[in-house]
Amino acid sequence: MLFLSFKQLFSKKKQTFLILFGISLGTMLFITISGIQLGLREYITKSLLNNTAHILISGRENTIERDQVYNWFFPHKNIAWITSPFGKRRESKLENYAGWAERLSSDPEVYDFSPRLSIQTIIRKGEITLSIALTGTLANRQVRVTSIEEYMSSGKFISLMSGGNKIVLGRKAAEDLGVRVGQYIDVLNSNGEIIPFKITGLVSFGDDRMDGAIAFAHLADVQKLNHTPGRVSQIAVALFDLDSAERVAKQWSLFSKDKVEDWKSANPMFMEMIKMQDIVRYFITFSILVVAAFGVYNVLSIMINQKRKEIAILRSIGYAPNRILELIMYQGLFLGGSGGTLGLFLGFIICRLVGSINLGFEIGGSNHLLVSYDPTIYMIAFGSAMFASIIASFLPAISASKMTPIDIIRGS
Amino acid sequence: MIIGEKIVKEFGNPPQRILHDIDLEIKDGEFVSISGRSGSGKSTLLYIISTLDYASSGTVKIDGRDMNKMSVEEIHCFRNENIGFIFQFHYLLPELTSLENILLPPRNIGLMDEYKKRAYELLDILNISHIAEKLPGEISGGEQQRVAIARALIMDPKYIFADEPTGNLDSSNGNTVMNILKETNQQKGTTIALVTHDPGFAAMASREIFLVDGRVSDTYN
Repeated sequence: MLFLSFKQLFSKKKQTFLILFGISLGTMLFITISGIQLGLREYITKSLLNNTAHILISGRENTIERDQVYNWFFPHKNIAWITSPFGKRRESKLENYAGWAERLSSDPEVYDFSPRLSIQTIIRKGEITLSIALTGTLANRQVRVTSIEEYMSSGKFISLMSGGNKIVLGRKAAEDLGVRVGQYIDVLNSNGEIIPFKITGLVSFGDDRMDGAIAFAHLADVQKLNHTPGRVSQIAVALFDLDSAERVAKQWSLFSKDKVEDWKSANPMFMEMIKMQDIVRYFITFSILVVAAFGVYNVLSIMINQKRKEIAILRSIGYAPNRILELIMYQGLFLGGSGGTLGLFLGFIICRLVGSINLGFEIGGSNHLLVSYDPTIYMIAFGSAMFASIIASFLPAISASKMTPIDIIRGS
Repeated sequence: MIIGEKIVKEFGNPPQRILHDIDLEIKDGEFVSISGRSGSGKSTLLYIISTLDYASSGTVKIDGRDMNKMSVEEIHCFRNENIGFIFQFHYLLPELTSLENILLPPRNIGLMDEYKKRAYELLDILNISHIAEKLPGEISGGEQQRVAIARALIMDPKYIFADEPTGNLDSSNGNTVMNILKETNQQKGTTIALVTHDPGFAAMASREIFLVDGRVSDTYN
């Protein structure tokens, strides 16, 4: 039956190729759109994770609650405040870092974790001062938890590993101060003490506002600067599986007072954008495939009408209805399969072309658009092309197999 | 052996009776012609005794098997191996060459290669060897009909049913076709049922059945 199917398809080359083209266009579009969207998403996700990590554990905010104050100082009394109690009891910090460290090192889902202490400080070079967020980390862990090393524009992040008042500055901040790697800057703590730090590297995330207001140093150096030895404000956790973050975070938050936040809930806007993108992407693909499916349906229906006599003679020769069904289905499958395959190649080529366009500005460490070549994109694209053509050829195939030879012969 | 008992065929609504209680017996090796005026029901009868159509009532038994009780698959299988059809129109598949058209029946059961030699023999016998690789659109009407006959003969069927096989041909081509049928009947012992309105061709059969208004009659009128 394959032989006959192909003979019939190739006797109508123009129609066949038009439909092939339609299907491959749908497949190609899906691959291109998905490649660009997912590529961009990977890039955004990566830069988001640099700030937040897969899961971020931080201290709960300790605001003063009125009820607590009543109960503590004035139990069972009616009090009217002139100025009601308000504010924070203390800086937010992790209650039990050692406990977390122990738990995280033994959790099989955790790839690594990095404790952090972030403080606001002022850095100074000569006359110029700059307010920045200084994050103290353990460099060897930080580079495992985030991909910060890739964003270093000079020097190495791992140089912070040994401590001893070294600092990695945001590139814009360094520019604003007019300093280079190897020079010293003054860091002021909240008590007004001035401690010199040596610049060992510059980091650039591609966002000037961020690059102008961040700096990294060794955790112990920051703790000393802040006069809070042993304090950790956050733990950044990297998991083996990025997508399990939500579930794991929920689990952990059950047995701790601390705030456990996965990267998805920390970035609700981003997740909404992803959802919207997915809807648009699937909607476009769906519409194109519907059009392609109608094409397949049309071609096969017309063909069956033109071939009524041939179908009748095949039946009278002894080709059973199922064989006629095969005859039409093979043609649909061929259209879907080869159109899909062609679309895969075209999509791949276009992705490569798009990826090679020089944008003229830097994005994610290069000046090219990031395009995803995730195999699942290609599988979904091919799968839906096949699915659309199977559905579209099934109806004509059924109607062809239901034709009885005698009606056709008598009719002619 | 084909035995038809009380074959009735009705069409339309309200039902109009085309065939009235026809009893008919065709023995193995017979060459039977069914003739009558147009509208006499001769083609309808042929299609009923050849498994292509069903009787409204009555039974058709071929080789002792009741056609009404066979499954669709069984009927197609039976047709494939035992029955050859020749129609007024050649019904060749336009995308296939003459040879490929002739080999359609064995292709259905995966025996194409085994029958290739036989196909060339038939082409030779029918004097159309030169058009083996040509498409139906490239050959003449007489040649087309001979290719269709070769397709009907390829499986060496026990039965051949021919519905006006000469209807679209000039007299010389018509004679050729009739002679082929007659030779097949004599040499291979193939049972042949032929529908024609041409009295001359009908007379070439070993037995003539006349149909008048859906009933078997003694004479043409």
